[in-house]
Amino acid sequence: MSRTSGGRTAPSVRGPARWAVVLGIVAGALILFFHWMVFFYVPTEASMGIVQRIFYVHVPAAWAGEMAFGIAAFCGGMYLWLGDERLDVAAETAAEGGMVFFTAALIAGPLWAKVAWGTYWTWEPRLTFSLLLWMIFLGYFLVRASIANKEQARRLSAIVAIVGALDIPLIHVSVNWLRSLHPEPVVLRQDGPQLDGRMLATLMVGLLAFTVVFFALFALRYGVGLLERTRPTDAPPEPDGSGLMMEES
Amino acid sequence: MSSWWRPFAAMVWKDVTVELRTGQRVAAMGGFAVLAGILFNYALAPTGARPQDLASTLIWITIVFAGTLGIGRTFELEEENGAFAGVLLAPVARDALYLAKVVSNLLLVLVTLVLLVFAFTLFFGLDLGRSPLMFWSSLTLGAIGFVGTGTLFAAVTVRSSMGATLLPVLLFPVLVPVIVFGATSTSRLLAGLGADQVAGPLRLLAAYALVALGSGAVLFRFAVDDG
Repeated sequence: MSRTSGGRTAPSVRGPARWAVVLGIVAGALILFFHWMVFFYVPTEASMGIVQRIFYVHVPAAWAGEMAFGIAAFCGGMYLWLGDERLDVAAETAAEGGMVFFTAALIAGPLWAKVAWGTYWTWEPRLTFSLLLWMIFLGYFLVRASIANKEQARRLSAIVAIVGALDIPLIHVSVNWLRSLHPEPVVLRQDGPQLDGRMLATLMVGLLAFTVVFFALFALRYGVGLLERTRPTDAPPEPDGSGLMMEES
Repeated sequence: MSSWWRPFAAMVWKDVTVELRTGQRVAAMGGFAVLAGILFNYALAPTGARPQDLASTLIWITIVFAGTLGIGRTFELEEENGAFAGVLLAPVARDALYLAKVVSNLLLVLVTLVLLVFAFTLFFGLDLGRSPLMFWSSLTLGAIGFVGTGTLFAAVTVRSSMGATLLPVLLFPVLVPVIVFGATSTSRLLAGLGADQVAGPLRLLAAYALVALGSGAVLFRFAVDDG
């Protein structure tokens, strides 16, 4: 623990910083290897052609996004229970990561759909579900941004995340009410994965790479979040002579 | 148990009395619902679609919009005068307060629904099918789920500088199950299908209502208590 100039106790960010560096290096290596696999190693799918390669980005991005939103809801719930501010930093960090990865999945999905289905958007259950989840967390950030009392904003945004998470099973059932267009699962099947070995390996490396990228970004942003919380926001910035100064005319 | 029921009943009585004396929210929601019917008529006229064929859709969309309008003001009157802080100072179970607000909001939504269905019957010759009781059960179950989530989120948005404009952004994504199962059940009933054809969606509407009320009762105290 160290003390800031404002007198508040600053939590150590050495741990998150160290994790960010280690995971960042691993994530960089994995992403490079993953891209080599996507472009040079994996065979082109017979019926869909080259556009099927979007699958290797779309599925891991959606996975990382769902995991991130799950962590955000869990940490939000734990924050309400225990009141530890670090849990709120973790929830906010995970929700930000979830928005980034889900946005990537929501862009990659329609790009693939335009070629495969001939349209960018259809009211296909999994697409709709992803968009709704994205919208719930958009609300989460609007709550945080529009409430001046930060302590209130943390509690109220946690409520939004928890209600969203609790409703996920019912939203899932409701959007599945109509017949699905989405390709059936090719990996998580009762009779085992129905995917070429090299395709499966590429997908698995993609899932691992995106997971590690998420946790690297999480560690980095979590550390920054901890520092932000200890910054005395109400005090004017101290002039240290290093910044740009306007000369008085 | 009376320490739970008495504040609960007092809160419901207070909200109903305020509404009976001012009539503001009923007038706004009911007026909105009837006017929406008129606008739907003119908006649908050029398309050739018959409003009675789309009645189920129009009813659910109208009640969600009209209901959001009214539910958004659940805490506004009390917040304006700082009266809710006084309520919170009293040793009252927060779930009792939440459920009291749910009941008063539900009464309001049900009154609006009666007005809405009456207006649509008058305007579009709506026939409630073979099972009017099931039709109203579907609307009521949907209304409970809607009000359960809406009341909790109204307590969230009342603290926000965005106010009631934030409520639909929070509420609509989680209301999709209500719309899907509600519109499915009422459209089947209005098409003349029997009660056995709507048992599935009605069960799911009931499940949604239970999740909404349960999560609201537990989480409400975090929305209104400071610290």
